[in-house]
Amino acid sequence: MSSRFSGALQLTDLDDFITPSQECIKPVKIEKTETGTGAKIKIQDDGAYVHLNKPKVNEVGVTQGQETKLQKVEISLTDCLACSGCITSAESVLVAQQSHDEMVRVFTDNEQLKQSGRCNEVKLLVVSMSVQPVLSLAERYGLSPGECAEKLSGYFKSLGADLVLDMTVADDFSLLESQREFVERFRAAQEEPENFATQLPMLASSCPGWVCYAEKTHGNFILPYISTTKSPQQIMGSLVKSHLGRAPQQVYHVTLMPCYDKKLEASREDFSNQQLGTRDVDCVITAIELEQLLQVEGVELDGVVSAPLDCPWGAAQGLWSHSGSGSGGYAHHIFTHAAKELFGEDISAVQFRALRNPDFREAVLEKDGKVVLRFAIANGFRNIQNLVQKMKRGRTAYHYVEVMACPSGCLNGGAQVRPQSSISSRELIERLEKTYLSLPQRGPADNPAVATLYAEWLGERIQIKHSIVKAQYNAVPKVNPYLNVNWGNRTIRWVKKGLEGMSA
Amino acid sequence: MGRLELIQSLTGHEGRVWNVAWHPKGNFLASCGEDKIIRIWGKQGNKWVLKTILTDGHQRTIREMSWSPCGNRFASASFDATTAIWDKASENFECIATLEGHENEVKSVAFSKSGVFLATCSRDKSVWVWEVQDDEFECAAVLNAHTQDVKKVVWHPQEDILASASYDNTVKLFKEDLSDHDWTCVATLDAHESTVWSLAFEKTGARLATCSDDQTVKIWKEYKPGNPEGIVTPLNESVWKCVCALHGFHSRTIYDIAWCHITGLLATACGDDIIRVFKEEASCDPNQPTFELVHACHNAHSEDVNAVKWNPCVEGMLASASDSGEIRIWQYQD
Repeated sequence: MSSRFSGALQLTDLDDFITPSQECIKPVKIEKTETGTGAKIKIQDDGAYVHLNKPKVNEVGVTQGQETKLQKVEISLTDCLACSGCITSAESVLVAQQSHDEMVRVFTDNEQLKQSGRCNEVKLLVVSMSVQPVLSLAERYGLSPGECAEKLSGYFKSLGADLVLDMTVADDFSLLESQREFVERFRAAQEEPENFATQLPMLASSCPGWVCYAEKTHGNFILPYISTTKSPQQIMGSLVKSHLGRAPQQVYHVTLMPCYDKKLEASREDFSNQQLGTRDVDCVITAIELEQLLQVEGVELDGVVSAPLDCPWGAAQGLWSHSGSGSGGYAHHIFTHAAKELFGEDISAVQFRALRNPDFREAVLEKDGKVVLRFAIANGFRNIQNLVQKMKRGRTAYHYVEVMACPSGCLNGGAQVRPQSSISSRELIERLEKTYLSLPQRGPADNPAVATLYAEWLGERIQIKHSIVKAQYNAVPKVNPYLNVNWGNRTIRWVKKGLEGMSA
Repeated sequence: MGRLELIQSLTGHEGRVWNVAWHPKGNFLASCGEDKIIRIWGKQGNKWVLKTILTDGHQRTIREMSWSPCGNRFASASFDATTAIWDKASENFECIATLEGHENEVKSVAFSKSGVFLATCSRDKSVWVWEVQDDEFECAAVLNAHTQDVKKVVWHPQEDILASASYDNTVKLFKEDLSDHDWTCVATLDAHESTVWSLAFEKTGARLATCSDDQTVKIWKEYKPGNPEGIVTPLNESVWKCVCALHGFHSRTIYDIAWCHITGLLATACGDDIIRVFKEEASCDPNQPTFELVHACHNAHSEDVNAVKWNPCVEGMLASASDSGEIRIWQYQD
C-alpha cells in the first residue's frame, strides 16, 4: 500500500513503520536519588532493564548492589517529532493516538457518560472539516460537494458529534494573516535589507510535511523564511478550543484532513495547552480513514440523513473555494493583496505559468517594465529540493513561495481516497481540481464570520491574537547516525558490508 | 576455458578500494575508496601510472564514481551524503557542484547514456534523478519505491531507463512520464532472496544481470508489448522475467557484476576473493539461456573483491578493486 504521508516525510524516515518500542533510540532518563559513579544498567533475560546502584557494604559485611527496575519507555508522537533519529513516527504511534478508532472510542465513551448522567464529564464533540477531503469523498461516493458535506455532517452527528463545522473561517483567517505578514516582511526587507530575520522569500507554512522536513533537515537556515502564520487546522483548533464558550478540556476536537502529516502537526507541543494538558486539535482523521470507517460499519454515505453544517460564529458557512491553487490559494491571495497594498495595482486574475514541470509555477508583477513581485508555487518534494538548494546558493529571486509537500498540492494529499480502478490518479486530481474551482469563491476579507471574529473578539487583544494565529518552528538537532543502528539479529557479515556506512 | 592474466596491480589507496570506473574512451581509470581520495590512472608506455589525485571533495568514504558520456566530467558519491561533480576545465579536474539532498550515505551514482540525467541512491532508501543543464543539476525526481538501503543505480545503455538494486532484495526500473515529467517505477524484479548488490545491462539493454548476497547471479530478459513469445504485458509496459539463474558457483556475497559490451562475457566480484568469468553458450534458447563458467580466478585479491569493470574499448581488459587496497588490471584470454 502506498504511504499516506507526503514524500518529504517519507524521506526523513518518518514513515518507516518500525515499532518504536523495538528500535527507538530515545535515551532512558534515570531519576537518580543519589549521585555517584559506577552505576550500571543490566538487561535481564526477559528484556527488562535494571539499574544497579553502586555496591554498598551492609551490616554483615556483604556487599550488594541495589537493583531498581527501570521503567519501560513510552514513546509519544511528540518524542518522535522532537528527535531526528530513526525517526520512527511509526504508524503504530499515530494509530494509537489519532485514528478513526480513537475518535469512535471517545464518541462512544461520551455517550455513556451522558446516559449515566455524569453531565459534568461530558465533552462537547466538535468535528471540523477541511474542503479537500470533503471533495475527495464526494468524488468517491458520487455526491455533489454540498451534499457530501451535509451527509458527512449527518454521519458525524449520528456518531455523537455536537457540532460539525467547515474550516473556511480558519482558511480565511490564515490567508488574511499571511497577506498581512507578507506585506510587513516585504516592507521590512526593503528597509533593512541586511537583517536576516526579515529576508525574503517568505515560504508558506500551512503544509506540515514541508515544515517538518525543513525543521529536521535544513533547520536554522530555512526556518526564518517560513511564514509564522498558523495553518488553518491549528487556527481552527484555537477557535474551537477558546471560542465556543467552553473550557478547552471540555471540548474534544476532531479535524477531517487530506493527509497524515496533519496528525503530526496536531501533535506538536506548541499547539497544546500544557497546563490543562489539552491539544487544540485532539484527533485528526483523513478521507481514506473515513472511507474505511464507512466500509467497516457498512454505512452507505448516500443513505445517511443529511444535517446542515453548524455555524457558531454567526454568518452561514458552507463550502467555499479560494482562487488559485487547490491548497488554499495562498500564492494567489498574497499576490493580489501585495499588488494592491504595495504597488496600488488591482489584479483580479494571476497567471501562474509552469516552468520546468507543472508542479513548479511562477507569476510576476511588472511595473514600469521592472519585475516588482515574483511568486512561485512549488509542489512535491523534487521542487522543494530545487527551491532549497537554490536558496542555499543564493539564487532565488522569489518574494513568496507556496510550498506544499505533495505533488499537485493538498487536493492530492497523501490520505485522500485512492482512485477507483476505472480512473488514473492524474484524472482523479483533474476532477478534484475542477470541482474545487466550481465551488463558490469569496475573498477571505469578505467572509462575514471572520470580520465578526476580528471585530468582536480579536480586535484589540494583541496577545490573544498572537496565540491564535502565530506559530513557531524549531530546528531539530541531528543525532549521531551510528547510535541509530538496529543491531538486532543481523549476522556479522551483514555488519561488515551491509552497513557500508559504518566505515569512515 | 579462458583465463585472466594479471597485467598490473595499482597500489596507493589506503584502506579498502570500493570502486573503479573506466573513462568512456578506455584510456583512463578512476578509483575511490575509504581514504576519501580519487585517483585517476592512465597509460604511459606499457604501464598504468597515477595521473591525478583529487583529495578535497568529500568528508567520508567515496563509494562510487561515474564518467559522463562525453568523458569531460565525472561524479563521485560519498558516505558524507553528497555527490560531487568534477569537470575537466583545463589540465586538471575541478569540483563544480556538490549535490545535496540525501539524508545519509550516497551509495551509487550514474550518468545516463544521453548525458541528460544523473542518478544517485542512498541508505535513506531513496533514488534521485537529477537533470543536467550545463553546470546546473536540478532534482527531477525523488523515488521512494524501495523499502531499504539502495545499493546501486545503473542506466540502460541506450534509453533513459534507470535500474536500482536494493537491500530489500529487489531491482526496480524507472522511466520518465513525458506528460508531467515525473518519474515512475515501471517494473520490479523480485527473485533474489537477499540484498541485490549490483546489476549490469547487456549491450543492447534487452537483458540485465543482477548479483546478490544470496550468492546467485540472475539474468533477466525484457519482453516488450506485443512480444512473439506471447508474454502478457499489463499497462503496455515491458515485463522483465528471470530467464536464468547461476547457482552454486559463488561461495560468498557477490558484490559486483559486469557485462562486457564487446565480448558479451560476464564477470563477477565476490566476497570469496575470486573473480569469475561466464560465457553464454552459443545457439541456446534466448528464453532459457545457459551460461558456462569459463574461468575462476582464485585469490584474484587477498580480500573481498568489491568491483569489476570491463574496459569499454579494449577487448577483454578488466579492472577490479578490493578491500585489500589494491586495484588490478587483467586481460582475459580465451
